[in-house]
Amino acid sequence: MERRSFLKSFGAVAACATLIPSIVSAADEAKKVTGPNEMSIETAISAITGGKAVTPSSKVSLSAPEIAENGAVVPIKVTVTSAMTDKEYVKAIHVFATKNNNVRCANVYLTPANGEASFGTRIKLGGTQDVLAIAEMSDGTFLSGKQNVKVTIGGCG
Amino acid sequence: MDVSRRDFFHIAAALGIGLPTLASAAPKRLDQVGLQDIYGFNARGNVTLLHICDMHAHIKPLYWREPSTLISAPNLTGTPGFLCGESFLKHYGMKGKTLDAYFDTFMNFDALAHKFGKMGGIAHMKTLINHVKKERGADNVLLLDSGDTWQGTGVALKTKGEAIVQAQNYLGVDVMVGHWEFTYGKQRVKELIEMLKGKFISQNIVGDDSFAEDYEELIFEPYTIMERGGAKIGIIGQSFPFTSTANPKEFTQGWSFGLRLDTLQTYVDKLRKEEKVDCVVLLSHDGFSVDQEVARQVKGIDFILSGHTHDPSPQPTVINGTVIIIAGSHGKYVGRLDIDIKNHKVKGYEYKLIPVAANLIPADPEGVELVNSLYAPHEKEFSEILGVTKNILYKRDTFHSPFDELINDSIMDAMDSDISFTPGYRWGTTVLGGEAITMDDVYGMTAITYPNVYTFEMGGLQIRNVLEDIADNVFNANPLYQQGGDMSRLGGVTYDIKIGAPSGKRITNIMVKGKPLDDRKVYKVSSWGGNLQNAGTNLNDQLTRPVYDIAANYIRKQKNVDISGNSNVNILDYDCGCPRKGSKSC
Repeated sequence: MERRSFLKSFGAVAACATLIPSIVSAADEAKKVTGPNEMSIETAISAITGGKAVTPSSKVSLSAPEIAENGAVVPIKVTVTSAMTDKEYVKAIHVFATKNNNVRCANVYLTPANGEASFGTRIKLGGTQDVLAIAEMSDGTFLSGKQNVKVTIGGCG
Repeated sequence: MDVSRRDFFHIAAALGIGLPTLASAAPKRLDQVGLQDIYGFNARGNVTLLHICDMHAHIKPLYWREPSTLISAPNLTGTPGFLCGESFLKHYGMKGKTLDAYFDTFMNFDALAHKFGKMGGIAHMKTLINHVKKERGADNVLLLDSGDTWQGTGVALKTKGEAIVQAQNYLGVDVMVGHWEFTYGKQRVKELIEMLKGKFISQNIVGDDSFAEDYEELIFEPYTIMERGGAKIGIIGQSFPFTSTANPKEFTQGWSFGLRLDTLQTYVDKLRKEEKVDCVVLLSHDGFSVDQEVARQVKGIDFILSGHTHDPSPQPTVINGTVIIIAGSHGKYVGRLDIDIKNHKVKGYEYKLIPVAANLIPADPEGVELVNSLYAPHEKEFSEILGVTKNILYKRDTFHSPFDELINDSIMDAMDSDISFTPGYRWGTTVLGGEAITMDDVYGMTAITYPNVYTFEMGGLQIRNVLEDIADNVFNANPLYQQGGDMSRLGGVTYDIKIGAPSGKRITNIMVKGKPLDDRKVYKVSSWGGNLQNAGTNLNDQLTRPVYDIAANYIRKQKNVDISGNSNVNILDYDCGCPRKGSKSC
């Protein structure tokens, strides 16, 4: 089976089957953390920030569909406003799916030579949740932007 | 037609006809009232936009009863888009028992239907359109169609949409966008657009097949510029943003939808700054409440001509200087928007939602001929009388409708299932109490390109989660996360709902055939018009059949249909179906 058609057919199932996690309680969620890539969103964020504050900022623009057409491949784009000079630039963009089992989606490292701090990809979402982008700035601060993406079975009769 | 002087005054008042001129006149029979009286309009400016939406392929006049329950999240209930009955009349400052009240609300529907007759139909719409074109000059008028036009009746289904494109060409549609149009599939959509004399535009449909030539490219022209009355009018198209989730993905594989408000803003700015248009219009199928949110987020749109949610709105809603109009559904109305454009700016406007009262507006003979010729090949099948209904059958309601109850009954009878799901679409038809149900009526409720009823198994917990998921699409407090439909209609099930409760916690007390839903039990479920079958297991493909055949057989067998009309859903946080804004009651 081609990777593409696999993703498509998987998506159709995922959109329906993953309804269940949304009603699992917080206590159950804690128990579910088992694999090496599975950690809570708080742990994943502090692994990057070292515990420093993350400030929501309009400089971090995260664009994603309001309602996912296919939960298996949700297109997202992160753009961070920055001069991208040696003095002031974006060092990294981190993307999180805050309620997936594996919350970590992407870490993109940049230099001033990138010219602009912009990155787009497709991520898998296991259910309705916030997608969070954290920008690591050259001055050591962390800025964030987020958007809620609804993953629904849709037109179920 | 027999209309008393009293009725006439009701009609006159409803239509804003000045009483003083009539008071001294002898009582007029209705057929003596000229179009000039009925369509009295305070003409303004140099351009007229005529707006239609959500005709759902009803080229013949029909009865269409508006909802007696229309409830949403507490912050939205009682606002335009979620108004019905008495709350609707109060909001718009209207009187009951008038022609307008008959068109816009469910109140006294049966009695008024016998008095005022059917609604819509292309032959009657055309007479009205011709009248406006004559008054304003044809070069100063545009006819804009917000979509959901090609689907919804037997004649549309049997001709794969072609009959309706012919109807649009006859009406003179200049520009359209789409939603159910796409359920004919990409190839057929392109063929039908070839046949359409007007333009099909959309800024929010983009290729998403990374191996295709159109990857990340627009599939249709995003906007068009038309000159009318010496003014340049930029019209941006917005097709239904959630087509690929609300309808089967297979029809639009490789196309991505979405609201795409960032590109919408780009096109608005481009039209103003580069194309130097005098007026920016968004022709939209977003839905009325979503478009109110669009007006909050996108700057610089003069007019939004909305559609999808089937709301009749007698007055425009103005948000941040953007004027939003919507013209009901099923061909019941034509919206007339006169715009005064001077020095490249909109100086003012006048709007009226004109009811297409088929008994009052004479039919255009050419239209009657066209409708007859389109129906002729199917007349024998469509005109079959399947049975007679004791009580009124209609579709619109947030939770339950008699026609859907009849369809669920027929499915559960044929499939012997525990639960039946019928989709909460807002299109359909109405059959008055005591009248015959024809095959054409059944198609009017069910004519879709994926009509199969599937029977399969689902676990109790899964059913509970599906209901919560659907409820969150209907009752989300943020209109951008709604999809503009109503709750799925359930056969075999009763439940309680607290609409204002958090997502995932709205539905309680689910009973299946009188017994509490068991989360661990496996149920036999039938469903059509969605993709629930993909979530189920053990699909029994031998039972799979089109819903219109199942419903028709059941009605033939019953002969006399007696549907109670009692809702199977108990609303915990509202006292009535049409609550006022900020209130739990009416």
